[in-house]
Amino acid sequence: MVRFENVGMRYGLGPEILRDISFTLDAGSFHLLTGPSGAGKTSLLKLIYLAERPCRGAISMFGRDIATTPRDELPALRRRIGVVFQEFRLLDHLTVFDNVSLPRRVMGESEGHYRAEVEELLSWVGLGNRLNAKPATLSGGEKQRVAIARAVVAKPELLLADEPTGNVDPEIGGRIMRLFIELNKLGTCVMIATHDTRIMERVPASRIYRLAEGKLTVAKAHEFMAEAKRA
Amino acid sequence: MSRSSGLMPAESASGATLHTIVAVMSFLACLALGFVLTLGRLASEWTEGLSGSVTVQLLPSAQISADDQVKEALRLVKNWPGVFSARALSRADAEKMLEPWLGQGNVLQDLPVPQLIEVTLQPGPVELEGLGRALSDGVPGAHLDDHQRWNAELAAFATSSEAVGWSVLLLITAATLAIVIFATQAGLQAHREIVEVVHMIGARDVFIANEFQRHFLWLGVRGGIIGLVLAAVTLVGSSFLMDSREAPVGAQYLPQFVSSPLHYTWLLLVPVMMGLIAMWTARFTVLRVLGRMP
Repeated sequence: MVRFENVGMRYGLGPEILRDISFTLDAGSFHLLTGPSGAGKTSLLKLIYLAERPCRGAISMFGRDIATTPRDELPALRRRIGVVFQEFRLLDHLTVFDNVSLPRRVMGESEGHYRAEVEELLSWVGLGNRLNAKPATLSGGEKQRVAIARAVVAKPELLLADEPTGNVDPEIGGRIMRLFIELNKLGTCVMIATHDTRIMERVPASRIYRLAEGKLTVAKAHEFMAEAKRA
Repeated sequence: MSRSSGLMPAESASGATLHTIVAVMSFLACLALGFVLTLGRLASEWTEGLSGSVTVQLLPSAQISADDQVKEALRLVKNWPGVFSARALSRADAEKMLEPWLGQGNVLQDLPVPQLIEVTLQPGPVELEGLGRALSDGVPGAHLDDHQRWNAELAAFATSSEAVGWSVLLLITAATLAIVIFATQAGLQAHREIVEVVHMIGARDVFIANEFQRHFLWLGVRGGIIGLVLAAVTLVGSSFLMDSREAPVGAQYLPQFVSSPLHYTWLLLVPVMMGLIAMWTARFTVLRVLGRMP
């Protein structure tokens, strides 16, 4: 589904912040991405959700080589990816319902087609009574749940989440992780960037990726956890 | 999501600024357009009015009495091919014509005002040179004024005034373009986050551009309508003022601004143009911003 080969990335003329990144994400797999702050986790996610371009190496998404894919075909690839941004990036002038249904609207669907699904999803993340609220009136945790609902509303094949449980209490965090696990069971490939070791114990990650100083190392989940416990 | 709730915020600080700017520029453009249309109408009215008539001036002559001079001139003119009618103006008519310049009083009685004959011509060519010669030869003191000199001078004045008016309109249009483009771009910068987020969730460039251009089209049209209404009030108000009894002396001789429904139709185009300028600027700018994104 996703293949990175010797990918490097830099912002402008700055130093390379990601170097020789190589990995693959298979359909239906579950991955965690960890590493210290500033290691490049968000930058790596940006490369995956096609918000940035690599300065070298090859990226293949859903069987398409990104370097040779025409720009006007990239939106179709982005629609197959759901993203939970670290800073939420909700549109402040839209209601919770409007924010969450944005991906469906972008796909050209009519409101009647997705309304019930969006309302059910919002109920599931505990925001069933905040459909018409504006983001400015929501708490950090509520905003995060709206962002998560927006990321999953179009049933993406690949779900990327940047610190998705950073601002929520353990109970909501648990519900969100169960949502991700359910989506994964339905075939969605999930990659979560997190510092939260509780998530690492809770989810069935097949691989844990660790970013440090721009380099990516891969470990089997149980090996990583054993090492983490020893440390 | 209801279809009526667009991606763009209905109201924002940048939107209010653009509204005001478009309204002011629309007001100025409407005034300039009204000025140009009025000059165009005046030019054609003057030219048509003068080319459809000639005047015979009868200066006092020792060779013929005043009454005979008028009778002879009228007989000659009325029988000339192409003349529709001829009327000798009375002393009172002449005084009324001079009244705006010399005022009321006894001054006119002491002035040697020439006797005038107003001649209305039939449509089509008339041999005026021959008529002029016939009058000079047949009636002592008679002189035919075919208004050619006035006609040429008025036409030249009207044409140059119209050219100035068009230049002003062109300048206002150029300034409007620049200001609306600048304000639209500033408004878009304020909404850059929207562009980026919608782009990241898979919206095509055309979808985003359509959302923005629709928002800015109505913003421009609304601003344009405000400017148009203000300009219409100004133009109509000034026309009423000129016609009123309280108007200053001589104001009634000034032209009426924008007098025909066709003129108002032209003015209606101004808000449409404002909307289109804002719309195309928004579309162009959004597509340019998106073009820089992966």
